[in-house]
Amino acid sequence: MKYLPLIWSGIWRKPGRTALVLLQVAVAFALFGVLQGMKAGVDRSVANTRADVLFVASADFGGTPLPFSYFDRLRSVPGIKSVSFADGFVGTYQRPTEAVYVLAIQPTNLWLTLVPEIFQVLPKDLEALAKTRDGALITTDIGKKYGWRVGDRIPLTSNTLHVDGSGTWTFQIVGTFKDHEPGEAGLIVANYDYLDKARAFNQGSVRNFYAVIAEPTRAAEMSDTIDELFVNSPNETNTASFRENAQQQMRSIGDLNFLIRSVTSAVLVALLFSITTMMMQTIRERTPEFAVLKTLGFSNRAIFLMVVGESLLICVAAALIGLALAMGVFPYTAKFIPGLSMPLSVVAFGLIGALLVALIAAAPPASRAARLQVVDGLAGR
Amino acid sequence: MNFAKQFWALLRLNLAGTLTRLGLVCTIVIGVACAVGVLVSMLAMGVGARREAMGDVSPNRATLISVDAPSPAQSSIAQDEASLIRDLPGIRRNAAGKPIVVFQVTVFVQARSKIDRTHTGFPVMGVTPGLTDYQPELRITAGRLFNPGLHELIASNKCARQYTDFGVGAKRHMRGGDWLVVGNFDLASTVCLVFGDGDTILSAFGRNTYNQANVMLESPAAFADLTTALKANPSLHLKAQHEAEIFEQDLQQVNGILNFVSYFVGAIMALAATIGAANSLYAIVDGRRRELAILRAVGFNSAPIIASVVSESILLALPGALIGALVAWLLFNGLLASPFGASFHMAVTPSLALLGLGWALGIGALGGLLPALRAAHVPVTAALRAI
Repeated sequence: MKYLPLIWSGIWRKPGRTALVLLQVAVAFALFGVLQGMKAGVDRSVANTRADVLFVASADFGGTPLPFSYFDRLRSVPGIKSVSFADGFVGTYQRPTEAVYVLAIQPTNLWLTLVPEIFQVLPKDLEALAKTRDGALITTDIGKKYGWRVGDRIPLTSNTLHVDGSGTWTFQIVGTFKDHEPGEAGLIVANYDYLDKARAFNQGSVRNFYAVIAEPTRAAEMSDTIDELFVNSPNETNTASFRENAQQQMRSIGDLNFLIRSVTSAVLVALLFSITTMMMQTIRERTPEFAVLKTLGFSNRAIFLMVVGESLLICVAAALIGLALAMGVFPYTAKFIPGLSMPLSVVAFGLIGALLVALIAAAPPASRAARLQVVDGLAGR
Repeated sequence: MNFAKQFWALLRLNLAGTLTRLGLVCTIVIGVACAVGVLVSMLAMGVGARREAMGDVSPNRATLISVDAPSPAQSSIAQDEASLIRDLPGIRRNAAGKPIVVFQVTVFVQARSKIDRTHTGFPVMGVTPGLTDYQPELRITAGRLFNPGLHELIASNKCARQYTDFGVGAKRHMRGGDWLVVGNFDLASTVCLVFGDGDTILSAFGRNTYNQANVMLESPAAFADLTTALKANPSLHLKAQHEAEIFEQDLQQVNGILNFVSYFVGAIMALAATIGAANSLYAIVDGRRRELAILRAVGFNSAPIIASVVSESILLALPGALIGALVAWLLFNGLLASPFGASFHMAVTPSLALLGLGWALGIGALGGLLPALRAAHVPVTAALRAI
């Protein structure tokens, strides 16, 4: 500790150089933080999705939806605790560019409990929806955007035709809900029964079923069981758990792992080299100073530790700045990958990396300073 | 004249000292090599994807889709429009004298990956007879072409590599029936391609419209005839797009992300390399204070000194770029990459190396500028007194 003032003055001997080294290390660790944080964050968000909710969709992607009768057949499958479903269509409000997605569910808690981190509905609003056939719940955001209030009747235009032959759908706003992951298009929640009875085509059908299973570890097996149930029917299903779907979506980034590793190692190699040369240069310029310190009685070990201390202080401080920068960037990535945040493990990993870089880079210059002969040092040799 | 003479003398002097300052010089070279190496290898993905997707693009091919459809997936062409389309002008005829028009419907089905056994979607393209007229470069490497009216498929070799059950003789279950894979083929694409008989797939998947009509033109110039004929015909709500345009749209999604990431990471690494170079050059200049003071005392001007230091910086950065590009080529050229469900070989090309050299030029010039200014303003008296 008593060497701290000496280390400090050593660091700021050439402020310009130190500032540049700090900047370089900070930039490198910011990159490290963003890349590794992205990867670790994705892994974690996949692990956080539910493995016990199976998402049942039509095997013919973009084809005809599933028949409503599958509801009862799914409920009778042993091992399935509960089944819910959702449907919906895209409408536009006033202008063709103002898209509003109508999510149609049964007005019970069943479907909503699957995604409590995304949608929250108060019991009184759910009750109001259940009472009003053509009712709809809105978020406060969309209410503000279009000036909608509870009690208003809103007309939406859609490609999904109404039984009356038009593409106009009217909903009565009866309450509000909270949407924690608002997308670009607005979203309203409506009654499935109203949508299904009022649409011209595909009556008695459902877009997706959601089955909650008792044992999450059997998700793959149960998915296959469900798909086999409807094989050879005109409406084959394709079932996968929320987690498997998330894994699939995120795999695109996982494929880049190899590249992320290469980049990270290139950054570290460049950094290692740069810091070593910079420290070497400092030691060379300060040879007479070290000789004086030795004359005053500083041991070889003390000199060695001082040089290593300088390098450690610079690297760790710069790494902290860089990682803080990376953390600051993360809220912006939420736009591309919802729910992504920087795990603390990456920060810890980065700091350990900074320590190692500092130690390895400082070792050669520090031992050179420690081995210095007083006579040579003072003679400027 | 005087400037050039001084500049050359200074530059020779600078470079002569390179060996005595090996550590600092290596910092610049290695820093630039890492930055350029990373940039080049990341861009090599986009270049590789483009090379494989666009490999066989021909200006003689065009695709017709609905006027208001942003891509073939959202387009629909009714079967009764087929004869109208076949009569359009500018379409080449095959050996039998029939216009080369292939109608195509695309459906998405599931496959299991060979590596981790997870589900992945892949497109099955149902095409009407004439596929080999339209794509003569389609080369069957095993088995044979599918027969019309039967539940038969042919799959590209990429499918066979990536997914299970795509070899000749394999059975795939789709829409309540077994489909036999009867052939494997090679065709330029970054993704797995599967073809089957158009009408069989329409009926099996309960569709009644095609997505697109692929036509072979008489010549690239015939494209204009085709578009005017389409505009003049009110009963056909179709537009023509060059094959290259359609492929470009497909590439855009993957390449947009890849390029953004490449330039983002490359720029950050270049920034770090620039700072490193500046620091090294500052150290070099500081070490030569006395020498520079003497040079100024004997009449060397500021401008040649600045130019010589910046040139030295650039001359050190350029070999760094070459090393970076070389390492990228050694490590990644031809490597199979598979981001976002596509699969292609990365390509480190001379033009990428040239781009790397350009970046190195920038890193060298920017990193050398401030140290050069300091070198040019060494206070003569103070520096000489320190002897």
